[in-house]
Amino acid sequence: MKVLFTIVVCKVLRLIGKMVGKGSSLPGKIALKICPDILDRVKLPKYIIAVTGSNGKTSTVEMIAHILMENGKNVAWNKEGSNQIEGVTTLVLNSATLTGKVKADILLIESDERFARYTFKYIKPTHYVITNLYRDQLTRNGHPEWVYNALLDSIHPETQLILNADDPLVSCFGYGKENVIWFGAGDLSTDTTEFDGVYHDGQYCPNCKMPMTYSKYHYNHIGHYQCEACGHKRNDTTYTVTSADLEAGVAVINEEYEIKLALKSLYNIYNILAAFTVASLADIDGKDIVPHINNYVLKNGRVVTFSLGNRKGTLLTSKHENSISYNQSLRIAAADKEGCDVVIIVDAVSRKYFTSDVSWLWDIDFHLLGSENVKQIVLAGTYCNDLAVRFSYTDIENDKIQILETVEDAVTYLNNERKEKIYVITCFSDKDKFLTRVVVD
Amino acid sequence: MKILHLYYDLMNLYGEYANVAALKRLLDKNKVPCKVDTLSVGDKIQFLDYDLIYVGSGTERNQKLILEHLKRSKEALKAYLDAGRFLIMTGNSFEILGKEIVDAKGKKYAGLEIFDFTVTEQERTRDTADAVFKLIEEQERNKEEIGSDSENTHAKLVGFINKCSTIQGIETPLFQVEMGLGNEKAGQTEGIRYKNFYGTHLTGPMLIKNPYFLMKLASDLCGKQMKGDYLVHEKAGYEITLRELSKRMEAK
Repeated sequence: MKVLFTIVVCKVLRLIGKMVGKGSSLPGKIALKICPDILDRVKLPKYIIAVTGSNGKTSTVEMIAHILMENGKNVAWNKEGSNQIEGVTTLVLNSATLTGKVKADILLIESDERFARYTFKYIKPTHYVITNLYRDQLTRNGHPEWVYNALLDSIHPETQLILNADDPLVSCFGYGKENVIWFGAGDLSTDTTEFDGVYHDGQYCPNCKMPMTYSKYHYNHIGHYQCEACGHKRNDTTYTVTSADLEAGVAVINEEYEIKLALKSLYNIYNILAAFTVASLADIDGKDIVPHINNYVLKNGRVVTFSLGNRKGTLLTSKHENSISYNQSLRIAAADKEGCDVVIIVDAVSRKYFTSDVSWLWDIDFHLLGSENVKQIVLAGTYCNDLAVRFSYTDIENDKIQILETVEDAVTYLNNERKEKIYVITCFSDKDKFLTRVVVD
Repeated sequence: MKILHLYYDLMNLYGEYANVAALKRLLDKNKVPCKVDTLSVGDKIQFLDYDLIYVGSGTERNQKLILEHLKRSKEALKAYLDAGRFLIMTGNSFEILGKEIVDAKGKKYAGLEIFDFTVTEQERTRDTADAVFKLIEEQERNKEEIGSDSENTHAKLVGFINKCSTIQGIETPLFQVEMGLGNEKAGQTEGIRYKNFYGTHLTGPMLIKNPYFLMKLASDLCGKQMKGDYLVHEKAGYEITLRELSKRMEAK
């Protein structure tokens, strides 16, 4: 009776929430209040696929859902990206019959790293993808090793782990497990043998803390690493990006499956690879995956094209407090051979909580904008001075930089006759302040 | 001036490298000859070769590594501090100078025992907070410097705390807490001060965020007033952050 009541309440609240445009976490929150062990009392599908990690969760989950559904699977997944236990509870109850049976072949869950241990206490994933662990929202998360420890508690012994072999910290989850599925990249057109970031989280082995070496870097501390002291090294991968040409926008998986990239970033390649891996494990043949992932444009609104007067631009949603996310966007702009202007906006650090901390600006490789492709840089928002100081510690010339205190001023300034394409790099918290002042395509 | 950025690679979790860069730039602009060395675990440290040593914050594991490395130099470090040389330790790095650190599993690590405090870590929640701290003045300090006037907001520092520990038994704190977290959970004081040793849990580029404190520190170091006219955006950034945090305090 209690189960029925809880499910009805959750479904009704979700329906009302959808009508008034509210997020999906409140119904789950109330459901958990009514029946704290509700997740233990529903009947879940045979396959439960979970995805967590610092970056790429939402995009990876969206692509997995897309491939599975296009191949005839019935998938329940958290489309809205509410990835804490409340949002997941809403998802599960909303997909359930009134008797508490989830109506889907596969339950697909994106989970926040810190909350995974609570969410997966009742919902035991059959397959668990961990994409990467980076410095991300450190004002809440502490640091990657802290998140690693929190995630350890969320892994059940019987769960099939699917891990990014190129991330040395994520690879540590594989110790003591026999059947880990590893994915990773072989050769990418942008690989380097020298490290060139402002901080190096792979300098010491995460397993034994002795110095670690790399034969190649894909980006930041993601690459091919080995520790001579303890033997920690990149595992051989079953699912591999065997080659990729970012400029041409093509990635090849397992030397056989060529995928065209709608977004030419390394990130996108890893997300596609993780999605390919999961779909393969769900018995979908590679040739049935490729057509659905070719030139796939994410629906989650993270890349938006717009016009401003006579000018054209692209907004690349980049997470504040996440240097690797920023670096990926900076690389896209810096590589644009047609020439571009770049706008960085930091007006509110987060949309979810208050903080004034801008330490994370110092972890971002802003020197990438020293590229000759970048003609002008506009720094805008409440924290434009902090941005200006950060840029003064790069070798980018001062006269290339404009500093404006509000987003409005930046839009007014950019509405000029320059021919360069505009790249706007900012976060969820600030992007609408810009997009409401331009014409979105 | 010789500056040592100690454990530059292991203790650089929140952009702390910028503190050394800020200090170097201020000395350069004031035409004070300045050289920066970087050393880490595995290196031998000649403490008295330096005028100022800086250590930033790191993960709990990295903190234990540097504690182990510094154990063999404990007497030399104490002599360095007693000689009135400058040591700036931010984040969890200064915790190693106490008697003991008890980690989240209850394991005890003997500290360098230069001070009497003890540290207790936990692993359930990360304690984080924006911070506004006021420098606690000593009687003998020059009243013309920052902080002589209680209305002088430049005596306030802004920043961020990110930790999983509490510290018991600090008798000579560095700051009065106006916003943020103190040494102890409900504590009103933060950090530690002894001669020219400054220890605080403020993480990240605190000397970038606090240009007035940077100038004070460098002036003390060089024995003459430093000029910071070029710190235009630093000062504006500081004022804005202080304004945002003050608004936040009033709203609470």
